[in-house]
Amino acid sequence: MFIGTEKLTYTYMSGTPFAATALNEVSFSLGKGEITLIIGPSGSGKSTLIQHLNGLLKPSSGRVYFKGQAIGSDKGELLRLRRRIGLVFQIPEEHFFSETIYDEIAFAPRNLGLAESEVRIRVKDALEKVGLRAEQLQYRHPFQLSAGQKRLVAVASVLSMNPEVLILDEPTAGLDPSHRRNLFALLDNLNRSGGLTVIISTHHLDDVVALAHSVFVLQGGRMVLAGPPSEIFTTREKLYDLGLSLPSVTEIMHSVKEKGLPVKTNIYTLAGARQEINRLKGRPGR
Amino acid sequence: MSRSITLGQYLPGESLIHRLNPRMKILALLLFLILLFSLKTYGGLTALFFIALGMIAVAKVPFRYFLRGLKPILYIVVFALIIYLFFTKGGVVLLRIGFITVESEGVREGIFVIARLFTLILFSLLVTLTTTPLSLTYGMSYFLKPLRYFGLPTEEVAMIMAIALRFIPTLMEESQRLMRAQVARGADFETGSIFRKAKSLVPLIVPLFVSAFRRADELALAMEARGYRLGARRTRMYEDLIAPRDWAVLSFILVLFSAALAFGL
Amino acid sequence: MVNRPEIIVEARNLAYHYPGEEATSFPALSGINVAVYRGEYLALIGPNGSGKTTLLKLFNALLVPSDGEVRVEGVSTIDEVEIPRIRRICGMIFQNPDNQLVATTVEEDIAFGLENLALPSAEIRQRVGEVARMLNLEHLLQQPPHLLSGGEKQRVAIAGVLAMQPGCILMDEPTAMLDTASRRDVNDMVRMLRQNHNIAVVHVTHFPEEAAFAERVIVLNQGRLVRQGPPKAVLTDLSLLHSLGLQSTAASELAALLREDGFELPSQLLHNRELVDSLCSLELKS
Repeated sequence: MFIGTEKLTYTYMSGTPFAATALNEVSFSLGKGEITLIIGPSGSGKSTLIQHLNGLLKPSSGRVYFKGQAIGSDKGELLRLRRRIGLVFQIPEEHFFSETIYDEIAFAPRNLGLAESEVRIRVKDALEKVGLRAEQLQYRHPFQLSAGQKRLVAVASVLSMNPEVLILDEPTAGLDPSHRRNLFALLDNLNRSGGLTVIISTHHLDDVVALAHSVFVLQGGRMVLAGPPSEIFTTREKLYDLGLSLPSVTEIMHSVKEKGLPVKTNIYTLAGARQEINRLKGRPGR
Repeated sequence: MSRSITLGQYLPGESLIHRLNPRMKILALLLFLILLFSLKTYGGLTALFFIALGMIAVAKVPFRYFLRGLKPILYIVVFALIIYLFFTKGGVVLLRIGFITVESEGVREGIFVIARLFTLILFSLLVTLTTTPLSLTYGMSYFLKPLRYFGLPTEEVAMIMAIALRFIPTLMEESQRLMRAQVARGADFETGSIFRKAKSLVPLIVPLFVSAFRRADELALAMEARGYRLGARRTRMYEDLIAPRDWAVLSFILVLFSAALAFGL
Repeated sequence: MVNRPEIIVEARNLAYHYPGEEATSFPALSGINVAVYRGEYLALIGPNGSGKTTLLKLFNALLVPSDGEVRVEGVSTIDEVEIPRIRRICGMIFQNPDNQLVATTVEEDIAFGLENLALPSAEIRQRVGEVARMLNLEHLLQQPPHLLSGGEKQRVAIAGVLAMQPGCILMDEPTAMLDTASRRDVNDMVRMLRQNHNIAVVHVTHFPEEAAFAERVIVLNQGRLVRQGPPKAVLTDLSLLHSLGLQSTAASELAALLREDGFELPSQLLHNRELVDSLCSLELKS
């Protein structure tokens, strides 16, 4: 088990009349170098779960594991853990506070106590990783960027810690489709070329399912479904009941199959669908 | 997450006290406080204390909420008691340690002052526990009305307070999230000197301000879009009516006043 | 229909410059001629910064035209005295559900607009009750807004506007921050408003699937109206949409790819069902 939880339970305000169980005996695990999706409607516990994975929240009961070891509550240990497991919050650009993009991205490495020469390298690397040019941008004010660029800088400001795991909470909330696809392509690339383990929590499945190795579905604080995408998205009624929907392309393939055409339904991209329908016609497609 | 934040001390209920007009509750509280501070005898104070207990029973608010409210003033109580015990002289000497004496008048006065403080807090808590923060705001804005003649926009002040009440939980939630986000980027808000700690707050304060201003901007727009205009006449969903029960409570208090006067309490 | 449909909002030769930005490349809006008819469902699409939100604000008299005019039920928005009436007729729903709820309880919030209209208290209570019943909010009336889910908050916002008995509701990406189930919920509500109350809806959206259900789609780019027509015509013009960085529905996008591969699919294909049906009929032929 690279990272995961065992019977993780979390209760807000326990012991008061306002107590509410956010997570209920959630157990899951995922491997190194994978891209994992955690999906579920809002309020299902996704954010609470991922905040446990880097020790920001402490379990009411149960355990969180990283590299086979249970995460303790020792302060130094938690600090070290947070460096290795980066967490990008929802709408992260709202957390900007610096006057330049450079300082914003340097915040994390400086907190690690690195020398400024090393910080400089980290900032440049991080910007490159998200496809931005350091020399062009680093001394501009973060608020001068477009919405899509701000999000990329926010991701860079976590990547500058050189984490082994990158967790993102609704990474494309508020982005338009082209920025959305760009961000997912980038994460895919970091995963393939850099071996970065990626965990994405989202309720909007278009463009992202094709990247995922495994999918976990949360509902009301419980883990209700787990498996590879091809398994999870074969039962569409079940997902509807959970207040979720299929990626739109997969939805189309399901409908085509229901009409009696022998197509595969584990298809998540337009290109995939095109190929599959061409295959049906006995043509190679493109 | 939002469930972890509650505001004010209000406990929902349907009792007579809950349903009193907030204006009347504020007025009654004021009258009770005046009465409390004009009482001179133990007898009067005891009577008022039991009246407070009686009203708590009517409001059906569990007594532990009052005990919790009394906790913060425990230090003041102890401090006051010490002052009175050692510095008020008169009556019989009860205790002598070297040149320090505790005399009976000090004990009497000390207990009297503390009993008065306790009763005062019971009455105040009774109001805040049975009135929503919003009604309290509206009630208070009523008494501010005369200030309008001095140029204070009292209706707008009430609106500002109501909006503040609406957004305090939202902003608290936001600051909590913000703090976690910066901790995830390696920030440390706990260790270091005071100077370092103050400096480490920049990553919290700047985004919080930016967001508060953005919210204010959007909210102003939304209010305008829904027809809110400064200085325009508005009505309220619930008229601010004084019901017979409010008059009844007022007369009850006035009777108490005259009784206190008549018996020289 | 024999009767000419009644116009609720009309923009004639409308232009708008944000103050201080007169000198920049293009005005926020220019040369806009558009009418909104009673009971119609109009979708407004366009890339970020194309002027969609500005147009809604002009309809609601939050902004005053720099040139040309906006008339709401025949009355120009320049007329200060008429502004309360204009805002009653044209209600507005914003993207962020959090920043448009003013009061500390749901019922007081629904009442807010009515209080601004200075209606008698009894009537306010009656209307709040009616709207709450209609939108299934009765169990939430005493709740503070911060305890509601995003979807519930938008429902309350819609209730607040509906209580004012508007002729038209302007919605600025009301579903952008919601999960799938809440989004469905808001879209159902929009349908209900039109069918049961004959209220016109102008819906700014990033979701092509939402625009596909409108009666008319308007495309804005750089402050100009570049295209309008029924969704079947506008949303199948992929070269236009793609050139603006927009997308059509998955069905329409997939159909275009398959047409390139020689599939003979109808040109104005928008919904999944249409694509699936056409594909099936093709297979039967081959």
